[in-house]
Amino acid sequence: MILIILACLQAILLVAAAPLVSGSARWMRAKFQTRKGPPILQDYYDISKLFKRQDLHTKDSSFVHRLMPPLFIGVMMLIFMGIPVVTRFSPIPLLGDVILIIYLMVLPRLFFALSAIDTGSSYAGVGGIRELLIGVLVEPAMLLALFVTILATGTTNVGEMGMMVGSFAAVNPVAVALAGVAFACACYMELGKLPYDLAEAEQELQEGPLSEYSGPSLAYCKIALYMKQIVVVSLLVAIFIPFGSATELTVPAMALGLVLYLAKVVVIFFICTIFENVVARVRFKLFGHQTWTVVGIAALALVFFVLGI
Amino acid sequence: MLLFGISIALSVIGAAASILLKRAESASRLVGSLFGVAAAACALAAGCLGMFTPIEPISVATPFFFATFTLLINPLSGLLLVVINLLGVVAWIYGIEYLKEYTGKGIGSLGMFMHIFMAAMCLVLVSDNVFWFLVFFEIMAISSYFLVIVQQDEKSVKAGFLYLVMAHVGYIMIMIAFFVMSSQTGSFDFSSFRVAEFSPAIASVVFVLCFLGFGCKAGMVPFHSWLPLAHPAAPSHISALMSGGMIKIGIFGIVKVTFDLLAASGVELWWGLLVVVIGAVSCVLGIAYAIAERDIKRLLAYCSVENIGIILLGVGTALIGVALEIPAIAGLGLLAALFHLLNHALYKGMLFFGAGSVIYRTHTRDMSKLGGLVRAMPVTALCFFLGALAISAIPPLNGFVSEWFTYQSMLSAALAGGPLVRIVFAFAVVSLALTGALTVVCFVKAFGISFLGAARSEKAHKATEVPFVMKLCVILLTACCICLGIGAPWVVGFFVTISSSVLLLPGPEVAAGITLVNPDLGSAISTPLVAVLLIALITLPLIIRAVFKSSQRQKPDASKEPWQCGYQPTDDMAMRAASFGAPVQVFLKPLYTIRAALAAQAATVSQLFQKTVSGADKAQGLGDRYLVDTVAQGVTWLSKKMQGIEGGNFRIYVLYIVVALVALLCIAIIAGGGAL
Repeated sequence: MILIILACLQAILLVAAAPLVSGSARWMRAKFQTRKGPPILQDYYDISKLFKRQDLHTKDSSFVHRLMPPLFIGVMMLIFMGIPVVTRFSPIPLLGDVILIIYLMVLPRLFFALSAIDTGSSYAGVGGIRELLIGVLVEPAMLLALFVTILATGTTNVGEMGMMVGSFAAVNPVAVALAGVAFACACYMELGKLPYDLAEAEQELQEGPLSEYSGPSLAYCKIALYMKQIVVVSLLVAIFIPFGSATELTVPAMALGLVLYLAKVVVIFFICTIFENVVARVRFKLFGHQTWTVVGIAALALVFFVLGI
Repeated sequence: MLLFGISIALSVIGAAASILLKRAESASRLVGSLFGVAAAACALAAGCLGMFTPIEPISVATPFFFATFTLLINPLSGLLLVVINLLGVVAWIYGIEYLKEYTGKGIGSLGMFMHIFMAAMCLVLVSDNVFWFLVFFEIMAISSYFLVIVQQDEKSVKAGFLYLVMAHVGYIMIMIAFFVMSSQTGSFDFSSFRVAEFSPAIASVVFVLCFLGFGCKAGMVPFHSWLPLAHPAAPSHISALMSGGMIKIGIFGIVKVTFDLLAASGVELWWGLLVVVIGAVSCVLGIAYAIAERDIKRLLAYCSVENIGIILLGVGTALIGVALEIPAIAGLGLLAALFHLLNHALYKGMLFFGAGSVIYRTHTRDMSKLGGLVRAMPVTALCFFLGALAISAIPPLNGFVSEWFTYQSMLSAALAGGPLVRIVFAFAVVSLALTGALTVVCFVKAFGISFLGAARSEKAHKATEVPFVMKLCVILLTACCICLGIGAPWVVGFFVTISSSVLLLPGPEVAAGITLVNPDLGSAISTPLVAVLLIALITLPLIIRAVFKSSQRQKPDASKEPWQCGYQPTDDMAMRAASFGAPVQVFLKPLYTIRAALAAQAATVSQLFQKTVSGADKAQGLGDRYLVDTVAQGVTWLSKKMQGIEGGNFRIYVLYIVVALVALLCIAIIAGGGAL
């Protein structure tokens, strides 16, 4: 029962905190560029303003365009309910299967691309296809990294994988660490940050498909995209950096787990911001070369694992 | 068994009625379809019975003293009967309306060949004798050939010829394999093969020949070239039967030979590795080529190559499980394969029917000329959409469940196996992940370009919803997909029963309450839970948004033109089918280079043969060298002969068929003489 409440709290916290995380990232980015920048709460202001605006749809759009924003939010909440955040184990173990999580991530991506085509705008459509292609290029690398980790830990449950990695019980820690690096690279590509994307510019991959959204629907899309960033980072934390999370359901352990989780997320987003500020945007067509590098790292992890290093 | 007999009798009467009434086309269509529905329903019932209570084989004396006509419905053939006849019932109902398109193009003979095709498929599944198996297999190939060339234009005749040639290349390989077995046992009955212990070399020869031969029928890479040409050429409901049903007979053959007929001889590890590698290559290449298509039916046909690949991954894992002597892995692998087989039949059938409905109204297969159909044909569009979600393996639909089991069985096998097994499965897992991502691209294209956005042609503008009968068919199959996905925890038990009866091993416990489990890794998911939470979590924001909207002064407006960078939108700005192909082809260039190479020179095919054989050669012990080399030479010889396919020398293939028939007759006579 406590676990179910915990899962619901996680999902609610995700929705509530998503704009805060993106707001802090924007703030940090501004500081790096020695600008004053928007306040940390700016994204909350933006969203509350959007909720007051009119909802517009193009004349050719159908149910897909209307259903996408709530569906994106709903799926992200569902995934987050299964990911261990403050605890070492998954709050709802039935939702913690890593293959289920990867395939659930596909559903919003599919809707995202379809809704872009649905508008009838060629401009949004191109963005939609690019978003899909990122999935094509990132997913195999992600699953190869996970394959090594699954073999090393002997389970496909995110919580149990974290448990094994966290207690150094996994076979071949070097291979697992390398798989973690590959997975982290793949996650970074999923985040939609420079050098692959410039989410704020509203003309690049991730927000291009949103060009026909407005009002409450656009607010939903924005929240959902922030939520996706947190979900991806949390997945990485839960599997490869679970150290310090609560292994039992006591108040001190969970408080420590929460603090450490927040610290890890802040550090990861800080590192991401550094990356974002030192690189230029790459051409879309070069994206493929870089994902091959990630596949290469994951393949190296596999070799290490097979050789037993 | 009585039901099965009635079904065949009804098919025969239906075939006769269809052709006799050919002058009165609408009567022929109606009578033929009614008999078809009845026949398929009877066979469906027979299959259901056979799946749960294995029926004793029935032998009938025939004029051929060497070939007793033995019929056997075991759980495996029962499942296949159910899959094919379920699709058959729906296809016949669909045909009542759909065939109106073909008025004046020989509905009578179309009906007759479809009856023969259905009956032959059913008889192949239950024949328990080499001679009759091969006879019905041939009837199935010939009757489906006539269904492929029904349009009588140059394109379909060419496609039909390639189909006929490839079907017979496979046929000859299967025939040789069966004759090798019967020369060892001295009998034409499958029951004698089951108890015979073949030497590992003979068993390997039989396996490789049957795998390649039945693989030809299944359309696996590198024998897939006929499939995307032949299936779309037939009327849509027959394409559905071919893609959903007929190619499954190839899988049935592989499973039957390796697990059933070679049961007493044991399984080699490299067989499984071979099947997994070919399966992985098939699924990636199949879906990559599907994305490049703009013809909606060809896209779906290529996608069948992909799904055959996924099924082969399961079969290969089961083989490895048997070879490693781990019943849980074998059971999981075969369960995944058989469940995916059913799932693919359902959603691919549904997608072909949906595509048929679109063609029925717009008379074009080119997706670039469609668009905006979601408003004109809402029911068809919604069903096609759900079918697309199912084939993209989106949880909690049925495609996801079988792919999850495929992943789980492969992971379990990789954990249990040595370094080589692990590397092969790493390759397979990455291929399956890539396939999953590409399938999403493919079906965003198929659904998005055909049904969403603005209509791109006059025909698409004028389209209206199809008649009730056709709607009913797609709704029925879509409902099956949803039920099999959400109800998976209650259904997979049957598949465990079937797979354990095929493997003769205890089946793993894969379902507990509302959860699906992999007992080997302890992984668990629950599709009903995911479905409930998904609906709840999507409804919640929907309601909140509706509340916000209702409190606004300005109501939602859905009459705006899309923003086109400030320009007035024109038709040629819209997304086209080609917009998808180009970026994918940039990123996955090597895959398309393979196709170009394959098309350019058939020599590549023979190289693949040689590589397969040399791989097999290495895996074999030294003692088997001599025998395998002989086969290697034989297969190389065969593959050299195969180079003629793209050389265009058709006469050689006619010669093959004649030689095959003569050889069959000779062996029959010799065997008959032995019996005397």
